[in-house]
Amino acid sequence: MDNLRIEGTKQTPEIDFDANTGILKLSGRSIPENTFEFFNPVLNWLDEFSAQAPDKVIAKINLEYFNTSSSKYILEILKRLKTVLKDDKDVLVEWYYEEDDEEMMETGEDYEDVSGLPFEIISIEEE
Amino acid sequence: MNTYEKFREMMDNQIMLSFKGEITSDIINMVLQIMETSLDSVSEKGNVRKKIFNVLVECMQNLYHHAEAEVDGELDTRRAMLELSYDNDYYYILTGNFIKSKEIKPLQERIDRVNSLSKDELRQYYRQILDNNRISDKGGADLGMIDMARKSGQKLGYNFKVVNDELSFFDLKVKVAKKKEKK
Repeated sequence: MDNLRIEGTKQTPEIDFDANTGILKLSGRSIPENTFEFFNPVLNWLDEFSAQAPDKVIAKINLEYFNTSSSKYILEILKRLKTVLKDDKDVLVEWYYEEDDEEMMETGEDYEDVSGLPFEIISIEEE
Repeated sequence: MNTYEKFREMMDNQIMLSFKGEITSDIINMVLQIMETSLDSVSEKGNVRKKIFNVLVECMQNLYHHAEAEVDGELDTRRAMLELSYDNDYYYILTGNFIKSKEIKPLQERIDRVNSLSKDELRQYYRQILDNNRISDKGGADLGMIDMARKSGQKLGYNFKVVNDELSFFDLKVKVAKKKEKK
């Protein structure tokens, strides 16, 4: 299947999902008014991907900001990865946050709790 | 009031930005850009800056999705207001928009519930709503209030003014502390 690459904008995140290596990168800002429009193709891609995922999948999530309507879709992405985990494959979510951004760290813990996926919560230094 | 007096008043009240009109996608982007520049000029950075940005996005998207039109003669636009100001201790984000009068009760109950919760309780509530609620076409409106309360770390201020049988004016005031509170 094809990889999924979407350039980031001021309102939407950069997506770099590689179907062969199983590395799924989501980064930048996610604050569109119409989240469905942006995320629906992403979820469709993941539906296809989860049926034929490689043995190891790593999601690297490094978001600066996201709005609450994006937060539902981020959970939907993680739910797709849960189906991969249930197929006895390795799944890891790397959740990045800027070191002083306590809220983003806590949000990572919230997603870890709600999704039931293995998380690694990683602090990065500010530029 | 002449223009100079109006200007002085805005200066005295430390208003960073004041807007009245329809909140469109372009306006949202523009306001965010103006705020980033303003916060740069007062060297507000890191955590506080992110909190303001987050609250501002939620507030404006509430206006974008939920503001009602005030039917006024020929005009039928979804006008709302937005004002950003600060004092020594806080940044203030104030929004005002029309809602249907019958929405007052459920909205007030939601805000009061959020305001009654402690930091940890808010977090549990957030997780619960994130997990259980279905995605609506207007996004997670319930999460919006919880998120603003969590990000700001403050109670949400609000007011309703009944305008007529159909419509009421709803204002929401969110404040963000300038310095990180000591634990």
